[in-house]
Amino acid sequence: MSAAAPKVLLIEDEKQIRRFVRAALEDDGCQVVEAETMAQGLIEAGSRKPDLLVLDLGLPDGNGVDLIRDLRGWSDVPILILSARSQENDKIDALDAGADDYLTKPFAVGELRARVRALLRRSYRNGDAATPVVEFGDVTVDLSRRLVSRGGETVHLTPLEYRLLATLLGHPGRVLTQRNLLREIWGPSYVESSHYLRVYVGHLRQKLEDDPTQPKHFLTETGVGYRFQP
Amino acid sequence: MKKTGVQATSRSGRHSPIGQFALTIAACIGTTLLATPLLGHLDLANIVMLFLLTVLLIAVTLGRNAAVLASILSVLLFDIFFVEPRFSLAVDNIQYLVTFAVMLATALITGQLAAGLKQRAQEARIREQRTQALYELARQLAGALTLEQVRELAGHFVEIQLAAHAAIILPADQPENDVATSPAGAIVRVEPHLVRVALDSGQLVRSDTVSELGLASLYLPLHASLRTRGVLAVDFGHDPGYLEAETQSLLEALASLVAVAVERLHYVDVAQRTELTIQSERLRSSILSALSHDLRTPLTALVGLADSLSLVKPPLPATALDTALAMHEQAARLAGLVDNLLDMAQLNAGGVTLRREWQPIEEVIGASIKLLGSALASHPVRVSLPPDLPLIEFDAVLLERVFCNLLENAAKYAPEGTPIEIVASQSSDLVTVRVSDHGPGFPTAKRDELFNMFVRGETESGKLGTGLGLAICRTIIEAHGGRIDADKMPDGGGASVCFTLPKGLPPTVEEEKS
Repeated sequence: MSAAAPKVLLIEDEKQIRRFVRAALEDDGCQVVEAETMAQGLIEAGSRKPDLLVLDLGLPDGNGVDLIRDLRGWSDVPILILSARSQENDKIDALDAGADDYLTKPFAVGELRARVRALLRRSYRNGDAATPVVEFGDVTVDLSRRLVSRGGETVHLTPLEYRLLATLLGHPGRVLTQRNLLREIWGPSYVESSHYLRVYVGHLRQKLEDDPTQPKHFLTETGVGYRFQP
Repeated sequence: MKKTGVQATSRSGRHSPIGQFALTIAACIGTTLLATPLLGHLDLANIVMLFLLTVLLIAVTLGRNAAVLASILSVLLFDIFFVEPRFSLAVDNIQYLVTFAVMLATALITGQLAAGLKQRAQEARIREQRTQALYELARQLAGALTLEQVRELAGHFVEIQLAAHAAIILPADQPENDVATSPAGAIVRVEPHLVRVALDSGQLVRSDTVSELGLASLYLPLHASLRTRGVLAVDFGHDPGYLEAETQSLLEALASLVAVAVERLHYVDVAQRTELTIQSERLRSSILSALSHDLRTPLTALVGLADSLSLVKPPLPATALDTALAMHEQAARLAGLVDNLLDMAQLNAGGVTLRREWQPIEEVIGASIKLLGSALASHPVRVSLPPDLPLIEFDAVLLERVFCNLLENAAKYAPEGTPIEIVASQSSDLVTVRVSDHGPGFPTAKRDELFNMFVRGETESGKLGTGLGLAICRTIIEAHGGRIDADKMPDGGGASVCFTLPKGLPPTVEEEKS
């Protein structure tokens, strides 16, 4: 392993899950540090300075959401959450607290690796200046000139549609909760008016997706929020 | 007036009207007898004073009517026994007519004044006593813990203060003709129709006609802060008499005290019930989530470990890889079944709180298709929605379950390569969604049972399943106030499931100036 191998801290109480997650990540060239409990995880996170955290939400010694809040006080390390399907609220809380992405148990190893790679890539890119031009599908967005074109033709977006697009593009691959998006784009008094967000995401899909009913880029995370997939 | 008359007598408690008159006459005669020996020694003017004193005393003790009688009687007795010629009504000296007139006038006026004073003093005493009783009642009502206590306190109060019977009727009571009441065990019979009128109008209702039938004649609504909580029915006996303003305001004060007490008890009840529901829901959901965690954890490990077998380097032999893949698939399928079972448990436990939000239905369709991913690989999904479909209020997570279950079913039974169609349409108050495939369709005989738990279309089929999918769909759709039905598509189509969702009133999204 080279010194450049990304360090992943895996906090999960089930030994067998740790085993295959470790195997999958090491296979991808990561260095994996394991922790069984929240307390231990927090110590490891402080001492080992990992590049990524993979965190099980259902830890025996406390709520993973608290750990995220603690961690976010002093670290920007990307956090990938593992959670069961019935924990929608925990997921939202975790994402609102600063987690970057989640995987629902049970998950395929391929999916796990893809998410981990995406998160690591992003954390490395963070240092660079953000590129002003984003491309996905046949859409090009020039953020510096506020120009959106699709297949070479200019697409007209309303100011709110553009703000929503820019926000989503700003966090590629990351799940943004409804609450977050509403607060960012419409303001704090709109956090409960989720229908605004839904209608405007619908507009973006109409204008920028090939098949708005089966979107490829502006994905719905049902009950949680949205994700932009480049 | 009659009522207070009775009140007054019962309060002073001594004399009936006839007794009063007898006493008056006796007092006047007594005065005459007392004054007769003094005739030689006293001036007539002073004897008049004695009579006036008598009238005054009678007025103070026996009231207005007795005072009038005493005034007239005194003048007559004075004329007959003291003025010459004695023992006759005739008068020698015309001057005495003036004496009589002045005496009568003085007696009447003093009598009136004294009696009025007495009456007012008595009224004030009654008022004060009632206020005291109201305070006392308010204090007791504040401590009342049950509705029964409130009823008893109110009944007791009316009995003591007004010598009447009272009953409290709450809307939940569904009043029959008879309503038991009062600590004394008296029965107050009420007229249900008048109760309803008082309850609905929020006004005092009074009917003397029904009191002749032995029913309560007065119905006061119990106004609480939010709504009318019930009715206070008062039965004055067969003769309701004249309802004094004072009695009415006393009853109104009583009604509002009772209303506050009833409302307080209502909210105590609500709070206790909510507390109980919350506790049992918390317990239920904590059991389910523990169960879900315990079931999913090994499945997650199983899926992941099977998966990682296929990633081992150097690669395993082909047969071992196939085994690993099959393990992965079976474990994933098992996880799906566990999901269904847990969902059903949660839905059946009745503790589902819908997180309803207004949203376009296309979004949840897209998410479901994405979620199923490879399971739909050999079945293209065609979605056709009317462009003007409004936002619908539903729980996205649950509706995603519905779509996933329906699509999964379709993909499981329809031949590979055939498309699955999702079509939505709308009427004035409903949105109808149809999911159909080109498979063999549902067996006709079983179509109605399909949505019951553990019923499967093909019992003997080799396809995996618990028969829970459609039951879950039905529970979810019905929780949203919709209906779900199974069909066979005409002209050789396959199975088709059709569900409705109510449209409701979607919120507006302000148009943005672009």
